[in-house]
Amino acid sequence: MIELEDIQKRYVLGGETVTALDHVNLTVGDHEYVSIIGPSGSGKSTLMNIIGCLDAADGGVYRLDGVDIARYSQRQLAAIRGRKIGFVFQQFNLLQKLTAYENVELPLIYQGVSEKERRVRVGEALSRVGLGQRMHHRPNQLSGGQQQRVAVARAVVTRPSIILADEPTGNLDSKTTVEIMDMLEELHAQGNAIVLITHNPEIAARAPRCVHIRDGRLSEVEPGGSRAVEGGGA
Amino acid sequence: MKQSIKMALSSILSNKMRSFLTVLGVIIGVVAVVVLSSLGEGAMDSVTGQIEDLGANLMQVTVKTDRYTGIDLDNLASLADGETISAVSPVLSQSVTAKSTLDTYDCTLEGVGASYFYIRQLEVEQGVTVGELDNDLRLPVCVIGVKVADRLFGTRDVVGQSVSVRGYDLRIVGVLEEQGSSMIISDDEKIIIPFTLAQRMFGSTSITSFYASGASEDVMDQAEQRLRRFVSARVSDPDDDFSLTSQSAVLDMMDEVTATLTTLITGIAGIALLVGGIGIMNIMLVSVTERTREIGIRKAIGAPRSAILMQFLVEAIVLSVAGALIGLAVSTALLMALRGPMGIPTLAVSPGSATLALTFAVCIGVLFGIYPANKASKLNPIEALRHE
Ligand SMILES: Nc1ncnc2c1ncn2[C@@H]1O[C@H](COP(=O)(O)OP(=O)(O)OP(=O)(O)O)[C@@H](O)[C@H]1O
Ligand SMILES: [Mg+2]
Repeated sequence: MIELEDIQKRYVLGGETVTALDHVNLTVGDHEYVSIIGPSGSGKSTLMNIIGCLDAADGGVYRLDGVDIARYSQRQLAAIRGRKIGFVFQQFNLLQKLTAYENVELPLIYQGVSEKERRVRVGEALSRVGLGQRMHHRPNQLSGGQQQRVAVARAVVTRPSIILADEPTGNLDSKTTVEIMDMLEELHAQGNAIVLITHNPEIAARAPRCVHIRDGRLSEVEPGGSRAVEGGGA
Repeated sequence: MKQSIKMALSSILSNKMRSFLTVLGVIIGVVAVVVLSSLGEGAMDSVTGQIEDLGANLMQVTVKTDRYTGIDLDNLASLADGETISAVSPVLSQSVTAKSTLDTYDCTLEGVGASYFYIRQLEVEQGVTVGELDNDLRLPVCVIGVKVADRLFGTRDVVGQSVSVRGYDLRIVGVLEEQGSSMIISDDEKIIIPFTLAQRMFGSTSITSFYASGASEDVMDQAEQRLRRFVSARVSDPDDDFSLTSQSAVLDMMDEVTATLTTLITGIAGIALLVGGIGIMNIMLVSVTERTREIGIRKAIGAPRSAILMQFLVEAIVLSVAGALIGLAVSTALLMALRGPMGIPTLAVSPGSATLALTFAVCIGVLFGIYPANKASKLNPIEALRHE
């Protein structure tokens, strides 16, 4: 359960203040699938970094599963990133020197999972994304779609409750986009909460709930309300 | 831990040339230290061995004053009591030019008593030594070293021939066994004659230098005391007028030299490895910058600060230890190659210096790795992820 209350985030660049998040309120339930749509620079990534405990807000309260994350130490936040949250990025963010298998294995190593169990879980996660055959390829030997699958496998291998995807299909063609989206939706069907960030209205519309962001301000979009999205984009 | 070492190795191997250049400083430092200290130890061992070869019980007294000392052949002979001192022989050394019918040669002339050969443990290869009778009768005879024989006659088969020194024609009665090259005294380059003859030759009446040998190793202290008492009673200033050299005293001095050498080498080690360590720190800082994005990704997927710190620290340690190991290998090869030229067949990496080098390397890795590693672990994940 994600609860954002009055979250603010400002950046000061050369004396100029940019308000990236402006009094944001958002609640995402345990098994919810929410898409966040907005133009470039509207604060989507900033919001996701805060939800993912990668960044701290300047103001407001963020409760994760009922606990104010301000109470956590750096070490505990790292553990939360590892266990509760799975990230999928637009640029895949795989380690180029490691194979697909090793990339997926990495979060488990940081959690101190035994070698034997790692083998089982990594194999499971990779076959789940349909990459059972390419475990020992390096990212540069894989297509963009395949790399993103590895990233999804890495996100789910820790069995997180929340998947945060920041434009996961931004670098993919339409066919692979559909494949990745199907995969995310399958994860949702299996009980994960999903926060999907995109600026593609079609993709945003696949989610049961869609939130619009503009200049750091959130507004809910009615279900099936593609008009509201168009209106926000105009 | 196993994982961090694996990661460190793959990161180091992915950039072999740079890693090699980085550890070059450590390699050179380790080689300098190990080779220098092993050479020093080897040379010391060899010199110490030569001193021991001189005879464990050898003592030498040299009176430094020109005035009449009151030491004569009779009271000197009475010094040998058989219990503490087994034998005594006066010596009188001078540089001379020796002539044969064929050649001339600059060498050392030494006038000695009959027990000199016993005290110094010198043997003749041919003929006989200079004896009691030769001294009593002041006979113009000599025993020569092999080098003298070689230079003056071109052969060592010279017993019966004569050499001419300061107008004296000396009949050769013996040739000394070859001693080999020695750093201290070479008996190969000596002409040994009766002490009484040497006194006559140089117009000297007093005895200013003599050798004595202790009866056994256990009574060396008493033997030294006996010598000291004897000489002290016969010079005006017992503190300054004579010196007593024994093997143990020379060995003590050698220990001091070794200690100085060790301090010096430790100093060089410190500087060399400091330079190596700075090289490692430099490249680790570059590496942290280059891998900022990697650090961001690792943090995003749950790496705690300590894991990032360990990763870079282990990498620095692996680098410096690898440098030390390569350095030890190079040193081993170098020392083997130096065995011949240095004339020390036992030359090898001493265990002490190897341990020192490895310990230093780990310390350097930790010391110079901690700053870059800490910097990496403190990176803000967001900024790290934005990094290109
Ligand atoms: N580290 C930073 N320093 C200064 N300004 C920043 C920083 N990060 C974000 N911003 C600013 O905050 C605002 C929101 O940025 P954010 O990255 O969240 O946008 P976004 O919605 O993800 O855009 P895009 O769709 O292009 O990824 C932008 O105006 C951006 O310039
Ligand atoms: Mg963004």
